[in-house]
Amino acid sequence: MSEAIAKARAGRAWWVPAVWGALLLAACLGMGALEGLFRWVEPDSRAVIYARADFLTLLGRHLLVVGVAALAAVAIGVGAAVAVTRRAGRDFLPLVAQLASIGQTFPPVAVLALAVPVLGFGTLPIIVALLLYGLLPIVRNTLAGIEGIDPGVREAARGMGMTGGQLLRQVELPLAAPVILAGIRTSVTINIATAAIGATVGASNLGDPIISGIVNGNTAYVLQGALLIGLLALTVDSVFARLQPAGPR
Amino acid sequence: MPEETPRPNIVLWSLLLAALPAWLGLDAVSVAPNRIVPGSGHSAAEVAGLPGLVASLVPALAVLWLAWRPTRERLRLALGLVVAMLAALPAWLALAAAELVDPALPQARMGIGGGVWVGLFLLLLALIELRTRLTLSRPLGWALLLVPLASLALCLSLWLEPLALRREYAGRSQQFLAAIGEHLLLVGSAVGLSLVIGVGLALAMRRWPRARELGFAVLNFLQTIPSLALFGLLLAPLAWLSARVDWLAALGVSGIGWAPALLALVGYSLLPMVRNTYVALEEVDPGVVDAARGMGMSRGQVFRQVRLPLALPVILEGIRITSVQAIGLTAVAALIGAGGLGTFIFQGLGQAAMDLVLLGALPILVMALAADALLGALTDLLRPGGAT
Repeated sequence: MSEAIAKARAGRAWWVPAVWGALLLAACLGMGALEGLFRWVEPDSRAVIYARADFLTLLGRHLLVVGVAALAAVAIGVGAAVAVTRRAGRDFLPLVAQLASIGQTFPPVAVLALAVPVLGFGTLPIIVALLLYGLLPIVRNTLAGIEGIDPGVREAARGMGMTGGQLLRQVELPLAAPVILAGIRTSVTINIATAAIGATVGASNLGDPIISGIVNGNTAYVLQGALLIGLLALTVDSVFARLQPAGPR
Repeated sequence: MPEETPRPNIVLWSLLLAALPAWLGLDAVSVAPNRIVPGSGHSAAEVAGLPGLVASLVPALAVLWLAWRPTRERLRLALGLVVAMLAALPAWLALAAAELVDPALPQARMGIGGGVWVGLFLLLLALIELRTRLTLSRPLGWALLLVPLASLALCLSLWLEPLALRREYAGRSQQFLAAIGEHLLLVGSAVGLSLVIGVGLALAMRRWPRARELGFAVLNFLQTIPSLALFGLLLAPLAWLSARVDWLAALGVSGIGWAPALLALVGYSLLPMVRNTYVALEEVDPGVVDAARGMGMSRGQVFRQVRLPLALPVILEGIRITSVQAIGLTAVAALIGAGGLGTFIFQGLGQAAMDLVLLGALPILVMALAADALLGALTDLLRPGGAT
């Protein structure tokens, strides 16, 4: 038992994300140092290190797209879920809850593909597609978090004379926070992966080396892109693991 | 809660009030003389003329009127109207094709415009809202969709030949069917394999609890790796293996194609499968197991006749999550040459042919929804027999 606790504590230390992040940065900056390895993987190609853009720039663009979409999705998603759990918005609750659960069935790639005819190629359509798709887990988890609060707690808070706003800020949101955070984690994990596929619709990010490697038959490019995206996903996920209170996901 | 005079249903009002300006203001269809030229948009008024446009608004206004005093009867009537409007959308497109597409141009094609898409989306939301308010069962809700689907099939076969989506299909109907086959085969084998491996892993974790934490840590780790990256990372080792091991190469294993796709799909499917199976077997009420043992059942009998049937709904839930996820991921696998419907998506994106993208994306969407609905229904069917 004490072993499990120690393990849980170790899993929640800041050094885990720090190590993954450091590895990610090191891989971005020092990819050239691995040239020998990539030359071994891909002996026949002229260039073995992806050079069309700087890896750090690609990482920055990837983070920008995912970050903007995530921030907007959190603002809109939590806002919408809070709105439909207030008395004025209650009428919309069943529809929003159903929509959030049906929408999760949609494959992210299909959402991305459908966004292109409507919004066109480039970075903006990807942000919008990620935002729309990322909304669903956040809305669903925020609803579950708020609805899951013991009615007695709410009653007690009201009995203490709390206003609606105080109830929301001091009771409901803090109690629902772990579930909401889990929703944000799911949303961001999916979005990092989907953003990479976005490289096929004209957004330049860490998906670029992979797509270009597949198109040109250069395995070394594919490996570089895959390595960086994998490290990015692990870094972000470990940050969330650190933020999340212990307990089942 | 039943009330004497129900308040207006503001959800239906909001949906329809959003749909009306979109229907009137956005393009209903776009028409292009061939595949290369971008289409020119046509509004709803151009499709049906002013009287026709007014007529198209009548059912929506009727639903608004019904939603103002939403008694059960009136909501039922509104549901009928919404289904009728959904069924009328394909007929509306057929009308547009007859009015706006020049029959002298055999290559002319008609794209579906924003007005119709938004209308379709908001009507579907209205259908969900009405289904919830009337507390209709899920299967009945799906059955209601059969009416618009039948109308769509009828219109597609008789009048909608110029529809761009159908033109794209007609050009590659063989490939399309083959792609659906490949897609289903990949998803099916990935789900089947991960079910076998997943149940085995879950049983092993129950027997050796120490393996549990490590097992879940590895599976969680896998789930975090983005699909494109995992496909990419599998490329080099598989290419290396197939170059060295003859019988693998003879099986068709290589760095691209079905092998890395299947491996990655199984990897992603294992976490939901193992988690659900493990939880399902773990959560069977110990009292029930005790009772079964007390009746003289052997360990094997308890497992087969008590634990497994009780755990089945939760395991099915795992299969459902896995299938839906695999249907989406298989689309990405098209990038590494695994075939399937994703091929059309990425071809279409490459050629900026949006109807080709739709030809790939829509069936994937339908497949995911159908898998979700069917397996969900199956889970519900098995549940009442079990505990809780």
